[in-house]
Amino acid sequence: MSAEQLLSSVPESDTVIVADLEAGIGTLTRLPEGSVDTTLVIVEPTPRSIDVGQRAVLVASERQQGRITVVANKVADGDDEARVRAAFNDHDVVIVPVDPVVTAADRKGASPMDVDPEAPAVNAIAGLASLLAETTGT
Amino acid sequence: MKIAVVGKGGSGKTSVSGVLARSFARSGHNVVGLDCDTNPNLGLSLGVGDLETERLLSLRDQIDEDEQKHAHTWDDILDAYGTDAPDGVRLTVVNRIDNPEPD
Amino acid sequence: MIRIAFAGKGGSGKSSVSGTFARLLARRDRPVLAVDSDPLPGMAYSLGIAVDDHPTPDDVVIEGPEGGPRWVLRPGLDAAGFIETYASSGPDHVQYLQFGNTWGHFQTLQRGQHAWSQVVREMDPAAWNVVGDLPGGTRQAMFGWAKYADVLALVVEPTAKSIHVARRLQNISKAEWAPSWVVVVANRVEEDSDVEQISEALERPVIGVVPNDAAVTEADKLALSPLDHRPGPFVDAVEQLVGVVEATYDLDIQTPTNGTP
Repeated sequence: MSAEQLLSSVPESDTVIVADLEAGIGTLTRLPEGSVDTTLVIVEPTPRSIDVGQRAVLVASERQQGRITVVANKVADGDDEARVRAAFNDHDVVIVPVDPVVTAADRKGASPMDVDPEAPAVNAIAGLASLLAETTGT
Repeated sequence: MKIAVVGKGGSGKTSVSGVLARSFARSGHNVVGLDCDTNPNLGLSLGVGDLETERLLSLRDQIDEDEQKHAHTWDDILDAYGTDAPDGVRLTVVNRIDNPEPD
Repeated sequence: MIRIAFAGKGGSGKSSVSGTFARLLARRDRPVLAVDSDPLPGMAYSLGIAVDDHPTPDDVVIEGPEGGPRWVLRPGLDAAGFIETYASSGPDHVQYLQFGNTWGHFQTLQRGQHAWSQVVREMDPAAWNVVGDLPGGTRQAMFGWAKYADVLALVVEPTAKSIHVARRLQNISKAEWAPSWVVVVANRVEEDSDVEQISEALERPVIGVVPNDAAVTEADKLALSPLDHRPGPFVDAVEQLVGVVEATYDLDIQTPTNGTP
């Protein structure tokens, strides 16, 4: 069974399913309409990453893949934040700061949560989880 | 709630997915992490480690073979092709490996 | 002539390395054709070509003959003509062809793929040094995109995820398509142990060690080539890599010693 079939056929329940799709927008273009409640579009503050993010937002909204939230990741300063907000001014943008804990976790092949659960990036993502839980009433 | 996470390779998609799943679990939700990437690494960001991530990869190759025999339900897949990650997250891999784009 | 393709996990720095490599090779008075087959193309930025959208038009191909390929180059258009007409010219006289742009047009992409495989199959191997930026990850990287290459360079960061992808590419390159050489370029290296970690995990020689250079991150944010924004340790390392590849992996001079088909 393909990821697309599986995701679209999962029965509704109170389980939270976090689906990490393949890089790029391939899966999103094949995913049946209305398969998910929320699409998170992760972008770095670089033109290339923002470009891919904009494509993803367009496909997700055309195909009604729920509420779209943009996550600006690896944000180093106000310029980075402004660049992402300007590119997605119609959407909610959640900021996740650049964080050496995430880099260290990547190098080790560990979860950032286990390297430092209080790291700034981990806190920002925990905030995102609360936001999603509130807005969807889960 | 079903959440799809997308982005360019290297954007931190998988790190965000892993931490997000564990945050939901820590606040009391039942959580399934679904690794749909053709290069499945969500296990690393969930904290199951290198070996278990590799083992899941080889399990995934079996999904297709097994499917010839009987269709899977969602629960079968969680059960047979998944593993338990920290904080009670259930991780499963679904995508087939290295298939080229259809021509 | 040198024909090299760069592959690796998305975000590993393939585009930055391959674009910089192409320009530095061109500065050695070689004719260079840079080819981007990533459906999320990024090589134009690192070549210093301002606009990252150079799609090949639909009408380059017509339906192929019965029993043959589905699409073929239209009559009167051969590989040389295709390159002359559709390549963009960049700094240092690099010629740039983009095949991958998937901006929603899948039919177009398929036609582009067919045009692409015909062009690389039929182009005069004595006319061009070819530097390729392959699709990120493993799904499409080996699928007919890179048969022009004698050297497959795996760009690897010292992270578990990047090493995983490189290991899989290494295995696929044995099974699906056998370039004359498969080599490793370590990118974003901070310390010696990073290179050890990478070379222990992979069976292939590490022929380039590219340090982590903040100027490249800045260049990415500004959509500039690393060569046009504070060139420093990154550019020096790619320059060295060009030297190694010229000396060791030029098929006109060398005989393959490793991974021969």
